[in-house]
Amino acid sequence: MLADIVRWSRKKSPWILHLNSGGCNACDIEIIAALTPRFDLERFGVLLESTPRHADIIIASGPVTRQMKDRFLRIYEQVPSPKFVLAVGACALAGCVYRGAYNVLGGIDQIVPVDMYVPGCPARPDAIIDGVVKLLAKV
Amino acid sequence: MKFQIPIGPQHPALKEPLGLKMTIEGEVIRDADIRLGYNHRGIEKVAEQKNWIQNIYLMERICGICSHSHATCYVQGAEKLMGIMPPARALYIRYMVSELERVHSHLLWLGVAGHEAGFDSFFMYVWRDREIVMDLLELISGNRVHYAINTIGGVRRDLDESQKTKILEGIKTLQKRSEYYLYIGVNEPSFVARLAGVGYLSKEQAMKLCATGPTAKASGIDRDVRKEDPYAVYDELEFDIAVADTCDVLGRTVVRIKEILQSYTMIEQMVKKLPVGDITVKAPRRPKPGEVVARYEAPRGENIHYIKSNGSDRPERLKVRAPTLANYAATIEMLKSGFIADIPLIFAAIDPCICCAERSVVLVDASSGAEKTVPMSELRRLGIERHKNSPIKRNLAWLY
Amino acid sequence: MENLKSKLQGRILELTNPDKRRIFLRVAPVELLNTVRLLHDEYGFWFVSTISGLDAGDDFEILYHFAGKETVLNLRVSVPKTDPRIDSITPVIPGAILYERELQDMFGVVVDGIPDPRPLLLSDDWPAGQHPLRKDWTFNRPPEVIPGAKS
Repeated sequence: MLADIVRWSRKKSPWILHLNSGGCNACDIEIIAALTPRFDLERFGVLLESTPRHADIIIASGPVTRQMKDRFLRIYEQVPSPKFVLAVGACALAGCVYRGAYNVLGGIDQIVPVDMYVPGCPARPDAIIDGVVKLLAKV
Repeated sequence: MKFQIPIGPQHPALKEPLGLKMTIEGEVIRDADIRLGYNHRGIEKVAEQKNWIQNIYLMERICGICSHSHATCYVQGAEKLMGIMPPARALYIRYMVSELERVHSHLLWLGVAGHEAGFDSFFMYVWRDREIVMDLLELISGNRVHYAINTIGGVRRDLDESQKTKILEGIKTLQKRSEYYLYIGVNEPSFVARLAGVGYLSKEQAMKLCATGPTAKASGIDRDVRKEDPYAVYDELEFDIAVADTCDVLGRTVVRIKEILQSYTMIEQMVKKLPVGDITVKAPRRPKPGEVVARYEAPRGENIHYIKSNGSDRPERLKVRAPTLANYAATIEMLKSGFIADIPLIFAAIDPCICCAERSVVLVDASSGAEKTVPMSELRRLGIERHKNSPIKRNLAWLY
Repeated sequence: MENLKSKLQGRILELTNPDKRRIFLRVAPVELLNTVRLLHDEYGFWFVSTISGLDAGDDFEILYHFAGKETVLNLRVSVPKTDPRIDSITPVIPGAILYERELQDMFGVVVDGIPDPRPLLLSDDWPAGQHPLRKDWTFNRPPEVIPGAKS
């Protein structure tokens, strides 16, 4: 019964951490735009958090560059479980235009397990909200 | 007693990773150092393996906010190498999208500056207005960002009459609202007090450190690529260069708002004067061997591309220098003798693009070696509280 | 432009004007600092846009792009691959430091007298001696792991 309450509260107000692992910023601007009044992600109870220790969901974008790989892993470990990862944008899925470049590893699922993928270049704010809602339904 | 604070790549505010290391003494920053490379994707090497048309799409994705500026600069260079000149209608459409992009980028920056200064409702208002511009861009090109409207020889999509009327209506609404923001920026006492005197960069230092864009314009340097190197459309339009004299973040804010207002007049002129004709010209598959330097005024400064071709269907060398890289040396100078509470604002004032940074500050106590993570929202809150009690400076000489 | 030719006299190796507002000038590496100083003091070219490196077969070509009010002057210097050293122009223009650091990183050109020689763009765990933008440097991509794929 207590587990049910905990699960309900986790679903109703997830706190997100926004992490950019070296992308072109377009998906990040769309993530921020998803929080502005027109697309309003905050009506789902989502709050943009600043430190990894408070977050439930990591919203990550960008193809992982070599320099960012260790930092990404360190931040991933700092987020307390249960944690979910949402990969936004074509870069985070498989590297987008940068496949084959020497400094890019090619997608977030090479280093951490991902729960939900949101495609698009850049992903529209509507698609990001759709992704977050579907992820919450899975929780 | 000095100690060092590294400001690492993950940040609560916005955008991309960057590492900074500040040596501080009390609350005053004595020295700063940057660590780039979190965003290095090896684009120049990839560009040598793709052909000329594929490179347009690669160039767009160098940056998400000023994507059209990189694509246009590249296409300007490639067209010069191939010796073709796109028709006038194509040029008008292309540069109309450029000016719309400048508007959207400056509005984005205004929102960020408001957020960093603690003025969150300003942030929300400005981003709501930005949505009008995004809708216009989507109407013209089909996507909110990365509008792949350029091709070598012209543009890919045409404008019809209903789109033109919508653009004019949107611009008129935005013009009224932007004039209101200019009024706020100049007259609202708490906003002015927060921004004035922060991040001082004198004119000589800006020249020595090769600053560009609004960072240099706020220090009184009136250089603008649109006036110096006018490509096609810009010598047929009338506009002024916005310059301010105060050399600090307030000057940069005002310069950007004035640039937005200039862009509105330019867009109106371009829509009204749009000539009829084709929208592309056939481009050869392989350019002649040669080299070219293409410059373009991106929202953040001067964007320069150097392209060398050896006659094949791939470029031999493509060198891109984005404007934010030029402003880094100036940022370090601005950070010295500033306060910790001003770090977010100084950094946001150059409008970081290629290495935009999110920061979470790790304070290392020199004596005990203990670490304490201070998120950026803390820093921002500290900054806001600190300035709440400082006296409001009313005797600023203004260059309106 | 004629003025420039007469001032530099014997030191210019090549001077072309392919387009209006563009000048390409070539000098020998040893003359670099004097030429930059001359351009800065007498002609007012204080803004260096960027420094491009180019791998041209047997030697590296380094181009310094100066943007003035009416023209863009591109200064070209060639250094052999066997001994890639060039002087730093930071005594005259301190703002060029970041571009020189990038040049060192990407090509392995050693810049003498640079105040801050750390690599700019490559990651911390990058093996030393590998310079990505040389033509003879290739990259072997590690095989990609697709999670959940049936092998």
